[in-house]
Amino acid sequence: MAHRFFRNRSQAEEAAQETFLKAFAQLKSFAGRGSMEGWLTRIATNTCLNMLRSAKRRPEVIASDLSDDETEFLEGVSSSMGRETLDAEQQVVAVDLAERLLETLSPEDRLALTMIDGEGASVNEVAEVTGWSESKVKVRAFRARKKAREALQKLLGPTRP
Amino acid sequence: MNHITEILDDTPFDGLTDTDLRTITAHTTSCGECADAFTAARLSSMLLRERISQAAADTANANPFFQTRVLAAWREQQTGGAWSFRRLWNATGAIVASMAATTAALGVLMFVAPATNTSDQQTAALVPYSAETVVLEQDRDDNQLTNDQIIGAIYDDDDEGK
Repeated sequence: MAHRFFRNRSQAEEAAQETFLKAFAQLKSFAGRGSMEGWLTRIATNTCLNMLRSAKRRPEVIASDLSDDETEFLEGVSSSMGRETLDAEQQVVAVDLAERLLETLSPEDRLALTMIDGEGASVNEVAEVTGWSESKVKVRAFRARKKAREALQKLLGPTRP
Repeated sequence: MNHITEILDDTPFDGLTDTDLRTITAHTTSCGECADAFTAARLSSMLLRERISQAAADTANANPFFQTRVLAAWREQQTGGAWSFRRLWNATGAIVASMAATTAALGVLMFVAPATNTSDQQTAALVPYSAETVVLEQDRDDNQLTNDQIIGAIYDDDDEGK
């Protein structure tokens, strides 16, 4: 779970470790209610959210920040409308770009977008894991989707006159 | 004309229904801005999928020593209080012991020694000396000259001057 939020391996491991330590410490409060996996997921989600809150956010992604590979990737992908498979190099560039985009979002928006659009989780599942209301999850996801789309639209530039 | 950006933002790209896609296709043929929005939404979805795939691969290749690391951290957290006390004692034990010894010595000086002095003073107060005793006791001093010796010494000096 931590790897979904942190690309950096050491950060992901730190979040996972923190999650297990919290779980060990609060094991009595679990008391067998619900599933152990759900309980751990909730602790992990909160831990990752807290770590993301303390991390520095990137204000926005601008075209001049992009590397040549990233610019080339965006041009190539935007011109091909099919669901093409990416080669290993393109995958690396795609993951870099995704991370840049996610860093511009608030931790809550990032979580909603990653879980719903990235993993295919339902609004209800996200609400259960985060403790938010379903309407809040929907609002977060909507906002995150819009922000990511607009940022990419800006990077791609107008494709038609 | 209803733009389709709200459909794109309201639903995950992979969750768009056939009806949604038909509406979008029909609209984007005549709206360049929405066509760009659709491309960006598709790209955003693809980037996220790649990011999640990468995360899954990272999870599969998790650090084999992670469990050991977590257990070590847990043990350290559990014994944190005792460890810190032991370290503190090792670092400051000698100073603390010497301070305790000094305090004990000061305590002895403050409470035992003054008590001895007080008893001497009390004994002295219980044995008063009268004026007669002092005068009579003067003669017992071996170093003190008698009256004859003093007079003799005075007049001997006068005789020598003559």
